[in-house]
Amino acid sequence: MRAGEPIRIGAAGAALGLALLGLVASEGRARANGREVALPMEAPDPRGLLTGQYVELEFREALPEGAPCPPGAQGAPVGSFEGMRPAWVALHSVGPGWRVAGSAPTRREALRLGRVAVRGRASCGGDQAVDLDIGIDRFHADQGEAEAIERLLRNRRPGEPVRAYALVSVGRDGRARLNGVQIDGRRVELDWF
Amino acid sequence: MAGYRDRLEADLERWIAEGLVDPVHRDAILADVGEPRRLDAATALAFVGLALLGLAVVAFVASNWNGLPRAIRFGLILLAFAGAVGGAVWASARRREATRNALLTLAAFIFAGAVGLTGQIFDIAGDPRASLYGAGLAAGLLALAGRSTGAAATALVLIGAGDLSDEIGTGWTWLLPAAAAAAGLAWSWRSALLAQAAAIALLVGAGRFALASGAPEQVGFALSLAFLLLAAGARWAAEREEGVVAATVYGWAVWGALGFFSASGSGEVMGGAPHRLALLALASAAVALGRHDRHGMITAGGVLAFFGAVSAVLFDLGLGLMSAAGLFAVCSVLALGAGWALRARRPAA
Repeated sequence: MRAGEPIRIGAAGAALGLALLGLVASEGRARANGREVALPMEAPDPRGLLTGQYVELEFREALPEGAPCPPGAQGAPVGSFEGMRPAWVALHSVGPGWRVAGSAPTRREALRLGRVAVRGRASCGGDQAVDLDIGIDRFHADQGEAEAIERLLRNRRPGEPVRAYALVSVGRDGRARLNGVQIDGRRVELDWF
Repeated sequence: MAGYRDRLEADLERWIAEGLVDPVHRDAILADVGEPRRLDAATALAFVGLALLGLAVVAFVASNWNGLPRAIRFGLILLAFAGAVGGAVWASARRREATRNALLTLAAFIFAGAVGLTGQIFDIAGDPRASLYGAGLAAGLLALAGRSTGAAATALVLIGAGDLSDEIGTGWTWLLPAAAAAAGLAWSWRSALLAQAAAIALLVGAGRFALASGAPEQVGFALSLAFLLLAAGARWAAEREEGVVAATVYGWAVWGALGFFSASGSGEVMGGAPHRLALLALASAAVALGRHDRHGMITAGGVLAFFGAVSAVLFDLGLGLMSAAGLFAVCSVLALGAGWALRARRPAA
């Protein structure tokens, strides 16, 4: 045994454990202090909704007939190489939820388009819809909650009012963090207990 | 099964009979070696019982995972990590090196799992690549703190996974500097296992760098030269080192040189007859070098490269057998002539 080795091991382990605790605490603080926006949820593929114990999420808005693509969102599709460049998405409030107002390369420019600017990418698809990528693609839930969300997402027909929203906290750093979900007006929030 | 002490006893009897060792020293030699540690049935059953208890706990927790509050889930993860680290501290204090190494390796894996599970428990959206790099750094920290070769190898695996998780690739790979650092640790700690892991990581990192560079043939050729230099340096070090670290790096460096040179001729830019001839020559040289240095890995690498060169020639020639026969006949004459010349120069015994 080299001198001080047990102490070094203990110190390294303690530092790593504190780092994990710090990560959870800082994320919790950022989530609590951020501005909450409710984004309507879509399901990318009903067959893949329930994978393990999480629900896959996709944020996609149908544009009204004849409505133009939001400014800045005409770029490369979300998920493509060109679409990977960092950007900001502007959101504005429409009824109970928030919608994409446009996209811009800087936060300042995005805030000219909407009240809230969040890091991410938005692009218009060929089917008169806007795809939004803010880094949140799943929601971990217990079996009952996940099945309820799955039924709502799968059974919703185009044109029907949105009944499921993702409650997202947009922090001062512009990052989106999931606060919870709202199903038929009932909030299911992420908390420690 | 005969252990070292049993073989030593047999050898001692033979050496005493041949007059090489004084019989007076027999007992002292055997006492110095000591009795091997044997695992009795009670201890073995205790290990089995503890392992089964551990499995029972894991299965119970897994089956009730989603029903547990988030704070409890997170607490269990921290507890598991703290247990592994605490065990490593205990083992280090009692100079149980193998146990310390094993527990630090376990702690590294638990922490890597903890990073992912923490994100899942609290729905923290993050970059998977950054998580793997972070877990790799954590494993490296544990390795340095406790001189753990297992944790160091785990760090290489995690950083390599982070590199390979990037589908697009930017050319840069963190595995290269990590492998270099691991090779340095292997040298310092005289660990053959870590030297193997570092060498393999170096090859994987270099390969990824070449593929993502946009000019794989040219970069591959440059890398083959770099690995040739590394092999030369490692061979020089191996002649002066008592351990096997330099010899291990030497063997893998030769494989890297042969492999990257082979790959550099896979396209139209650098492929062709000169490349194939050079590869045949390098492969033959590797076989001869491996035999000379008694390094089986180098000999094997040379043989594989030779087969690869032959396959490439046949492919290039459109499987024309007559042309292939003529080419190989020329190479055979050259090789046999060189071998005869070397034998003729050897002084008479």
